[in-house]
Amino acid sequence: MTIFNYSFMQNAIFVSVFISILCPCIGIFLVLRRYSMIGDTLAHASLAGVTIGLLLNQNPILGAFVFTSICGALIEFLRSYFKKYTDLILTIVLSLSVGTAITIISSGKLHVNADSFMFGSILTVTHFDMIMVLILSVISVLTLILLYHQMVYIAYDEEAAKVAGVKVRLINYIFSILVASAISVSIRIVGVLVLSSMIALPVATALQLGKGFKLTLVFSIVFSVIDIMLGLFISYYLNVAPGGFTALISVAVLVFVLLAKKLQSSIRTARCK
Amino acid sequence: MLMIKAENLFFSYTGSSPYVLDGIDLEIRDGEYVSVVGENGSGKSTLMRLILNFIKPTSGSIVPQTKRIGYVPQKNDFSNSSFPITVYEVLNSYRRLLKIKNKDIITEALEQVGLLSVKGSLMGTLSGGQSQKIRIARALMGNPDLLILDEPSTGVDIGSQKEIYSFLKKINKENGITVVSVEHNLNAAISNSTLIYHLTCGQGHLCTPQQYTDEFMKNGGKSNDNIQL
Ligand SMILES: Nc1ncnc2c1ncn2[C@@H]1O[C@H](COP(=O)(O)OP(=O)(O)O)[C@@H](O)[C@H]1O
Ligand SMILES: [Mg+2]
Repeated sequence: MTIFNYSFMQNAIFVSVFISILCPCIGIFLVLRRYSMIGDTLAHASLAGVTIGLLLNQNPILGAFVFTSICGALIEFLRSYFKKYTDLILTIVLSLSVGTAITIISSGKLHVNADSFMFGSILTVTHFDMIMVLILSVISVLTLILLYHQMVYIAYDEEAAKVAGVKVRLINYIFSILVASAISVSIRIVGVLVLSSMIALPVATALQLGKGFKLTLVFSIVFSVIDIMLGLFISYYLNVAPGGFTALISVAVLVFVLLAKKLQSSIRTARCK
Repeated sequence: MLMIKAENLFFSYTGSSPYVLDGIDLEIRDGEYVSVVGENGSGKSTLMRLILNFIKPTSGSIVPQTKRIGYVPQKNDFSNSSFPITVYEVLNSYRRLLKIKNKDIITEALEQVGLLSVKGSLMGTLSGGQSQKIRIARALMGNPDLLILDEPSTGVDIGSQKEIYSFLKKINKENGITVVSVEHNLNAAISNSTLIYHLTCGQGHLCTPQQYTDEFMKNGGKSNDNIQL
């Protein structure tokens, strides 16, 4: 019997496929707009959402999605009041989220263990989780395809986008819901603590290849699939949490690509001499 | 026909005094090539943002008389060369934003500025002059009546500057596109435009290049920096 025969593993692989597509799709916009820290803040918000969901006897992923969406919209809203202090806004939302999560977890009122959402786990994916992941992923990917050119332009040249009639604020709100969606889909397997690495690292790796936007996005997804699948299988055999190991692999892949690039350019200079 | 009309326009970023623009009245007729000059921080870019309706006047009004406006934003540190995007993608996504069906417009836009050869290149690998020409070509894709540029010669080599200004002159004369261009390059302002709008201390004043030169000589050349006549 191989590990593929275990239904928990099949569930985990199913969810991982969606994680590895969704995270880089929103990650590329976050990274290029220098908003990576928003990903991190919203990841912590999702932990508060999980605990609220568990407290109310609702599905934790649903709880994460609702609460993270609200926090995403709140960040977008506060941004117009604290224009030049994005990091301050993030601190406010982070305090609210972590405060909520710690209070609920330490109250002892949860009948389930919230640890698996911190570190990620492959054993705990339920059927209802899979349905949530499927719905959120399909809607998110369709929205991304629909708004692709507008989002590219908001990231690349916001003023030119405005002149062309792009409703920048509206799309920013929609985007924060997409971020919430990607995070909610990912927390089960990847865990809160390393979620931001899944959002940023595959994109950072793809950026090293020096391609155009669409190809950079495609390579981000490729690296993301490699990171998550390797992370999943190796962590299973080592019997460690998948979140941590996935993060380690994504750093390793980035370093590998950087070294390959370095090697290539030194071969080129050597040839010229 | 009027292209831009500003009446008793006041603007401040804080909503109260001091005003960046302190009671502006301005009429620009269509077919003009207006260079907007003034010292750093005099409110030139702010005036452009008001025309484009990015920001609203604190009081008074400023209204362009057309909806078809092309804009070449001021280059800042953020229009960074590390953004992963090709020339084709820059133009094609813009085409999609403008809801233009015909893809040929991309080739036409590139041919217009003589840069068909860089279609597949990354924006970040182009020279300052090349990328500025792409930005101008992009602004013209919507077939605008009014083209607004903010310091178009920043970061552009002298050769390309000449090409850009003669191109702007050409589309102004031949296609009748009204051009409003913020200029720190006074030589370009004087030799290319039909009118010069001088902003200082929140007030503006419109004159011909000849009048501007005369006034400038009278002031002993101290009102502005890098002029060589
Ligand atoms: N977004 C902003 N918020 C607050 N003040 C601003 C903003 N943009 C510009 N200013 C201020 O308004 C004044 C005019 O700026 P600007 O229109 O950019 O001048 P110019 O383009 O002529 O150099 C400057 O004093 C500048 O510091
Ligand atoms: Mg300016």
